Amino acid sequence: MFGFKRAWIVIAVLLLVSPLFGVVLADMVGYHEPLDIVAERLGLNDTSEKVNWTPFFDYTVPGLDPVTGYIVSGVIGVAVILAIGYTARRLWPGH
Amino acid sequence: MHIPDGFLDPYWAASTYIASIVFYAVAYKFKRESLGPQKLSLLTTLAAGIFVAQMLNWPLPGGTSLHLVGAALAAILLGPFYGAVAMGLVLLVQCLVFHDGGITALGANVLNMAIVGVLVGYYLYKAVVRAMGASEKSVLLGAFLGGWMSVFAAGVLCGVEIGLSPQFPYGVSVSVPVMGLWHLALGVIEGVITGLVALYIYKRSPSLLQV
Repeated sequence: MFGFKRAWIVIAVLLLVSPLFGVVLADMVGYHEPLDIVAERLGLNDTSEKVNWTPFFDYTVPGLDPVTGYIVSGVIGVAVILAIGYTARRLWPGH
Repeated sequence: MHIPDGFLDPYWAASTYIASIVFYAVAYKFKRESLGPQKLSLLTTLAAGIFVAQMLNWPLPGGTSLHLVGAALAAILLGPFYGAVAMGLVLLVQCLVFHDGGITALGANVLNMAIVGVLVGYYLYKAVVRAMGASEKSVLLGAFLGGWMSVFAAGVLCGVEIGLSPQFPYGVSVSVPVMGLWHLALGVIEGVITGLVALYIYKRSPSLLQV
């Protein structure tokens, strides 16, 4: 699972700098991707907030400020992916 | 490019779910390579890396933002089937844990980014490397074109899905040009990153790449 040391160092560094891009710059400039432009023109309604099931909505963690919450969210996401990969490795036929 | 809940009508939500499930079932049956422990580690590491890379949003001049998609990179390292599995895993975690991408739109998001994005990226890269022979130049060019066009194709398909809905009879004439043109432009950045990462890996450990 951990045979790609260099890749994991890169992942850790990206995690630490992610709030700069995901929170700070996004708040300053406003995050606006092409899909948002289309949604505005067509008058589409994002209903995500009305029907929500997760406490980590949009990479936030209850009780934490947005920057820390973003990093913790990243760690949670990576941990979930790792757990799935680890389980698959344990359960895979022949291993 | 993650479609949230509320954008798709039920017809598109259901049909894209079905198309994605059928793809994984058929591709699983016809996949050539088996998944050894080394490849499973690579798949997991790559999925984690793409998940984190997608958290880095770059605001661009003109008020538009983008983040890496990573579909072509996954395809070049893992092949079409396992590349689609890695991307599908990223989208599933984003949707279920962070509600990034709607649950009703998960089928569409998987179809756009994990299936079409991966297949376009893979076959374009492969065609270039085959035509030119495996070299630093062909890996760089193939990965660049694969990354660029995978984002363009996923963007256009996304535009078709949200534009072709009975609620908005002329929506597609707005959504496809906007999504297509923006992603044709923004996809260049995806192409450059995919090309440089592929070149780096080719120089260090070429056996990891699909050539």
